Amino acid sequence: MDDLEILSEYSLYLKEKKEEGKKVIGFIAHDNIPEELIDAAGFIPLRMIFAGNDDLMNASHDYLPPSTCAFAQSSIGLFSLKPSQFNFLDLLDYFIVSNHCVSDICASEIISKYFNIPRLNFYISYTKNDNSLKYFKLELIDLKQQLEKIRGSEIPSKDLRESILKYNKFKKRLLEINNLYMKGSKKLKIIQKALLFGPDFIQDLEQIIQEYKEKSPINQINSKDLVLTGCSIFINDYLIDLIEEAGGNVVFLDTWIGNHYSSQIIDDKLIDAKKDPLNLIIKRFHDNIYGDHSVPNYLEFKISQIEKIYHDYKLKTGKKLGVINHIIKFCDHISIMSAHLKNQLQEKGIRVLNLERDYSRANRGQLSTRIEAFMEML
Amino acid sequence: MSLMADDIIQFSSVLRIAYNLLAGRDYLKRKKFREKKKLISVALPFSDLIYGFPDLVPVFPIRMHAFKIHKYLTYLSLGSDIFGWKRVSKFLSFVKNLGISEASRIIEEIIGDVIDTVNDKYNEMYDLGIESGIPNDFCYGIKSLYGMHVSKGKNVEATLNYTIRCSAWNKYLESLKTIENPAKQVWIDIPPRNIGNALELLTENIYDAIRELEKISGNNYDKNILRNHFQVANEIRKYYKTILYEISTSDFYPCNPATFSEILVILNNSFQDYNSNAIRYRDNMLSLVNEMKERIRNKIGMDVSKMPRILVTPMFGGWEPKSHEIIYELGGRALYADWDMLLLLEEIPISKFSDPVEAYAQFLLNATKTGIGCDNDTLTDSYIRLAKQLNAEGLVFIQLFGCHSISNCYAMLKEKIRRDLEIPSIALTFNKIGENVEQVKTRLGAFMEMFK
Ligand code: SF4
Ligand code: SF4
Repeated sequence: MDDLEILSEYSLYLKEKKEEGKKVIGFIAHDNIPEELIDAAGFIPLRMIFAGNDDLMNASHDYLPPSTCAFAQSSIGLFSLKPSQFNFLDLLDYFIVSNHCVSDICASEIISKYFNIPRLNFYISYTKNDNSLKYFKLELIDLKQQLEKIRGSEIPSKDLRESILKYNKFKKRLLEINNLYMKGSKKLKIIQKALLFGPDFIQDLEQIIQEYKEKSPINQINSKDLVLTGCSIFINDYLIDLIEEAGGNVVFLDTWIGNHYSSQIIDDKLIDAKKDPLNLIIKRFHDNIYGDHSVPNYLEFKISQIEKIYHDYKLKTGKKLGVINHIIKFCDHISIMSAHLKNQLQEKGIRVLNLERDYSRANRGQLSTRIEAFMEML
Repeated sequence: MSLMADDIIQFSSVLRIAYNLLAGRDYLKRKKFREKKKLISVALPFSDLIYGFPDLVPVFPIRMHAFKIHKYLTYLSLGSDIFGWKRVSKFLSFVKNLGISEASRIIEEIIGDVIDTVNDKYNEMYDLGIESGIPNDFCYGIKSLYGMHVSKGKNVEATLNYTIRCSAWNKYLESLKTIENPAKQVWIDIPPRNIGNALELLTENIYDAIRELEKISGNNYDKNILRNHFQVANEIRKYYKTILYEISTSDFYPCNPATFSEILVILNNSFQDYNSNAIRYRDNMLSLVNEMKERIRNKIGMDVSKMPRILVTPMFGGWEPKSHEIIYELGGRALYADWDMLLLLEEIPISKFSDPVEAYAQFLLNATKTGIGCDNDTLTDSYIRLAKQLNAEGLVFIQLFGCHSISNCYAMLKEKIRRDLEIPSIALTFNKIGENVEQVKTRLGAFMEMFK
């Protein structure tokens, strides 16, 4: 299934949902947005995961300088570029402005302000201590109230609990997918599609998992195995093809639309009818230590996490994973630590390629060369 | 117009501030080694909390470097040591009698020198920042600050880190941990929005930081000391605002406008740590205001009534320091007032709160909510407010390469300028000092034509 097919299928899906009277709430795809609240309110969360070509990227320059990350630029381009293959974005009813990073704020604000999509707010603290958890609760309550105002009634705790359970199940399946051995491009497409359709895609995920479990698990593909960390690869991007053309295979996606998302599972045992479900979301925020938003321990946690992925994989398959750290140019979060991440992992014997790029077509050749050279080294 | 040696005597406070900015290294060495005080690195105007601990000394890290201090400034300082600054005139005649030619150097050259010296160091630190692993994508300020910590971070006991809306800033602060033998980090998380009991949470976060600072200092926090400091800090803010709003908007300047802009640059730099001594800084600011007023009263200075007021902003993260000279040569006067744009020159409301920590939390939250803002809509309102308050007749917006926060909002700002101010504006891109002077000249040339 190619990107166009996914998009047209998704467009139909959204139209159906709108016809059912559901509102669509968009937000830029990073972690920490509590989509269970949106779901419990009876709305459809739409995660913006469309970026990867220069047309979209360049269509944002009336709003932000070109020295903005290509993802934020492209997210604006989705609205400013016409004609567009993303017409389903016209169905958005609200857009959440959030501060995963400052480019997230600016792009979301521009989308809301200049493309007339009413705005909701959801901000989070940068550090993680008792007070930032308390602050997180304030924001959750505030978002809940914003959503309740739209729907005209309270969101019952029971509904929120059910949404949490539903998303929990969804994430567990996604995690299983992420751990399956299959061609990286295929895995990426499945995950991208799943993130659009949300828990409505659980059955499809289960079917895929079943099919793959029946196949012999390892050594099907004669390739150099990789973990992709840093920035996600979004719908419309050619990067994964370049990696595969160079003989690599991404076996694990450690990005916003990979493990950052699917690992955020709330322990089922905690989902108890007597407990305030907002506290569960707070607990999840607290446990999300690998996310790149928080300071000051991101680098340490990220290194230990990649090390673990590397060693687990070696134990399981006997193969050494290479690491591609995907850095979208001007990404504050991923870029600043990249040299240190690489040095510290290399000191532990793990090969890392810091792959910095924007979405210009002109870069393609250069990117291929760098990826090929890295594959040679593995 | 030139200001001769005798004028300098009447205008010595600015030289004192400049000298204290440049001679920080010796002062700080004395504090650290002789008086056994501990240095705490601060950046942006966030040093106030450190003054609650007499054993701790805040320092904006560039000040730990040795600077080439102009001979004349050194003479003046020596003179001040012997005779006191007020009687420095005696020293000047002494210097003159010795035939030292610099005695008649004009004040603008000395101040210009100070700016050049500091900026050369900034560029050096910028290169060091890149060499040490900060990617080129980041703003000038972050690259140089990282370089400053690589070269001088070992001298500080801790860094005091406030989270702001700029993700690059917050991440940069974390990245300081990657420097060899990193200083301890004390964090204060400022809630992004003022909702619910955010004020209370921020107050608690400040208290947590105070506990950390107590451990570093070895002394207990004393609320009276902090309250007293906030009084001093408020006076400093008042004098700073007098310079910005009374003097810079008047028709007669106490010196030529390029020098005046340079004084504003020195204030912008030194305000971040009050040159490590808030009381001395307050006294110098008071003298500066008095001296400026005195000069204006005596008609020493320059009639600037025909020179359009050009607000140049934001410049704290990096800008081309030749800008004000170019604007001056083209018939305008450049004003710098970033700290007030971000509402960091507002009073710390100690009269409204019995707890000074709560007052400070209120101050920070106000700056976050209304000054820096949690989005560009609020931030651009801040630029507009400042331009109005300064009666700016033109606005030069510095589009700083790699800044995704304070200086990426020109498109939105331009619209508001057109709607609310109806003054000409221009965006100048900036990457590194001295890299693009010719282009700045050309663009400002075209821009200043609009005022003819
Ligand atoms: S800067 Fe990085 S984290 Fe922020 S929107 Fe861009 S890609 Fe995402
Ligand atoms: S706001 Fe801009 S200038 Fe300031 S630290 Fe952030 S990126 Fe640099």
